[in-house]
Amino acid sequence: MTAPGSTPGVPLAAGSAVGGPAAAAPSTTDSAVLGPAARVPSIEFEAVSFAYPDGTRALSEVSLRIEPGESVAIVGQNGSGKSTLVRHLNGLLRPTVGRVLLDGRDVRPIHVARLSGLVGLAFQDPDRQLFAGRVAAEVEFGPRNLRIRGRELAERVRAALEEVGLAADAGTNPYDLGYSRRKLLALASILAMRTPVLILDEPTTGQDARGVARVREAVARASGEGRTVIAISHDMRFVAESFRRVVVMRQGRVVLDGAPDGVFGGAAWAELRAANLEPPLPAVAGARLGLGSTPTDAALVAALKRGAG
Amino acid sequence: MVGAIVAFGLRGWSGPTLVFVAVVLSGAMAGALRRMALFALATIPLVISILLVNTFLYPNARDAIVTVGPLSPTWTGATAALQATLRVVAFGLSAAVFALTTPIDDLLTELERCGLGRRGAFVVAAALGAIPRTVERSREVVDAQRARALDTEGRPWRRLKGLVPLVGPVVFGALGEVEERTMALEARAFTAPGRRTLLRRLPDSGRQRLSRWALLIGSICLVAASLAGAVKLP
Amino acid sequence: MVVNAASYSYAGAAQPSLRGLSLELAPGRVVGVVGPNESGKSTLCLVVAGRAPGVIGGRLEGSVRIDGVETASMRPHELAQRCGLLFQNAATQLSNTTATVFEEVAFGPCNLGLPVAEVVARAWQALRAVGIESLASRDPARISGGQGQLVALASVMALRPSYLVLDEPTSELDPAGTRLVAGVLSRIARETRAGVLIVEHKTDVLAQIADEIVVLERGAVALSGPATAVLGDPRLAKLGVEPPAPVRLERAVRTSGLEWSAALAEAIE
Repeated sequence: MTAPGSTPGVPLAAGSAVGGPAAAAPSTTDSAVLGPAARVPSIEFEAVSFAYPDGTRALSEVSLRIEPGESVAIVGQNGSGKSTLVRHLNGLLRPTVGRVLLDGRDVRPIHVARLSGLVGLAFQDPDRQLFAGRVAAEVEFGPRNLRIRGRELAERVRAALEEVGLAADAGTNPYDLGYSRRKLLALASILAMRTPVLILDEPTTGQDARGVARVREAVARASGEGRTVIAISHDMRFVAESFRRVVVMRQGRVVLDGAPDGVFGGAAWAELRAANLEPPLPAVAGARLGLGSTPTDAALVAALKRGAG
Repeated sequence: MVGAIVAFGLRGWSGPTLVFVAVVLSGAMAGALRRMALFALATIPLVISILLVNTFLYPNARDAIVTVGPLSPTWTGATAALQATLRVVAFGLSAAVFALTTPIDDLLTELERCGLGRRGAFVVAAALGAIPRTVERSREVVDAQRARALDTEGRPWRRLKGLVPLVGPVVFGALGEVEERTMALEARAFTAPGRRTLLRRLPDSGRQRLSRWALLIGSICLVAASLAGAVKLP
Repeated sequence: MVVNAASYSYAGAAQPSLRGLSLELAPGRVVGVVGPNESGKSTLCLVVAGRAPGVIGGRLEGSVRIDGVETASMRPHELAQRCGLLFQNAATQLSNTTATVFEEVAFGPCNLGLPVAEVVARAWQALRAVGIESLASRDPARISGGQGQLVALASVMALRPSYLVLDEPTSELDPAGTRLVAGVLSRIARETRAGVLIVEHKTDVLAQIADEIVVLERGAVALSGPATAVLGDPRLAKLGVEPPAPVRLERAVRTSGLEWSAALAEAIE
């Protein structure tokens, strides 16, 4: 169960920046300036192990490669190492053993502030980052730190707020928004950074149906632009429907890795349950009816049609 | 308290020496010697100044150890300095022994038993409990803001600008929790009238209580007698 | 517990958060509350549990009665013994002043000044009711989210309330933690005959444990009735609520023109 994702994204052609200033031709040899116009990097974990200062082992020899433009969901019980893993991508954590490579280059010597221009990470708890008096100011913070100014900045903020449905609340105090809209605000503040790699930590927890729809749209749009999207989630339906690759973690190791078809297919259930997870309902129904692997509603319907027709 | 009284109240060496020995012994029994040593380190600045001032500037002392220009440290001064140092260290360590060997929960329970009141005890305990939580939260906030390219490693002016985004969420988060925490407390009948039931019971035999009172009264008498000149101690 | 035509506005708010809302919670029943965010679900929790306006101020019109007594006339510690209230964040509900889970659960009875023997008995009873006796000597600061919620639940149960109000208790939990908490709530309702009101986004959880469902929209009841009926109602999606997976799947199959068979129905059980 270790086949890589089905459709690896294509690295952007030089000059077609991912939302950055169109004029600048990205320099792939200049390791010092990995600005927003850089191409989407490949990601590799090379036998990464990580232990916290108090000795708790959070990751054990994780080796994983993510091609540019892939959309990957990481699932697992709390404490399985998911958050620890993604924090290695923007430098918040450094491996105790092993290396993390972006485009083949070890990220260890690169500062977090620089890596954050390449890898945007939206945290699970929005209240850990909210400090501004106005929604728009909050969204400006990230791109401003990346030296975006003026019209470009205003445009990014507008677009990001539009994407999460908060355009009408640009002047509101973030704490006057309910929890789920604050979460969308946190998402917007990372979207505005227009990073080639986008990581979302539990984007749908605490969200109502509309909020989840917004998150899905944001993921789809980012993926459509060729960016690498990585999400940690407990919502198996969201995972099966929005991502082309699923990585299952348990006790700091990757135990399953593949397309939703494979990871939620009957053969993998024993491993899934060992990781304390349940496959989504369509997969269960499909298996019971002998229809093969049907991780999503659409897949089940399609399989039924094939059976009937 | 007894330590303080004896260490400072008795003239001469016997007081502080006694306390020092007692404190080190009890510290050793509690296995707290290493941590006590750390406390002792904290008294070093004071000790140094006592030694210097007394050795060099003791009034009316004539028995110089050595004379180097205008400086003439005296034996009398040195002796006085050592005695004073011993007092300070004995006092400091007795406080340390107390702090290190009394679990905070037991201390608070005892205080409440003596009439502190549930709010007082709660405030202290909650404040202590809040420290690791606040540290944890601050760490997460720093991570979240660094993930938005906040520069925490650059020049001082830049880092100063980053103060609001770092402190803001910690403060707002803590404030925001207040309402929920208050309701959680009330949901557990914290505001009920009367005295709270105390589950913990510190083993306190009659003998312990007796010896505590005896020690206190005894030390006061001893100090009084020493001051009055009725008893001569080395 | 009966809520009658309650309208509630927060202090200083221009608009009421609840408008003319009525609902009933019977002992031993589980009522689920759903609705889009900002439809008044959290406000409803506070009003039903008597904390609004009692603790947090604001203005309430209409009445909220527990066993015939108006909650407005009860003092907070009396309220605590009649109606327990739990929120989504386990950490903020623990007192953070106790060294063991047992003492945490005993916190409530201790506050009431009950004799030690009774405090101990109640604490063990609550731990047993929630199924966490094995956690009794653990440090409350070092347990998982799901376990934390259970400890918070046990410490509220130690006061023996006849009603429980929970505001999105599983929202921050992983699937295993969610299953755990949901199972415990269902069992508590059955065994202790407590009336349970639970606000949830996860309609699959409610499908399993709720007897009735109330759908809120802008502070008023838009739909209510037996759980199966409401969760299967086609108007749910328009009201901003995601139906549970089996309902969703059935709808997907039917709209694609396929036949819905008994075999299918069984497959999604």
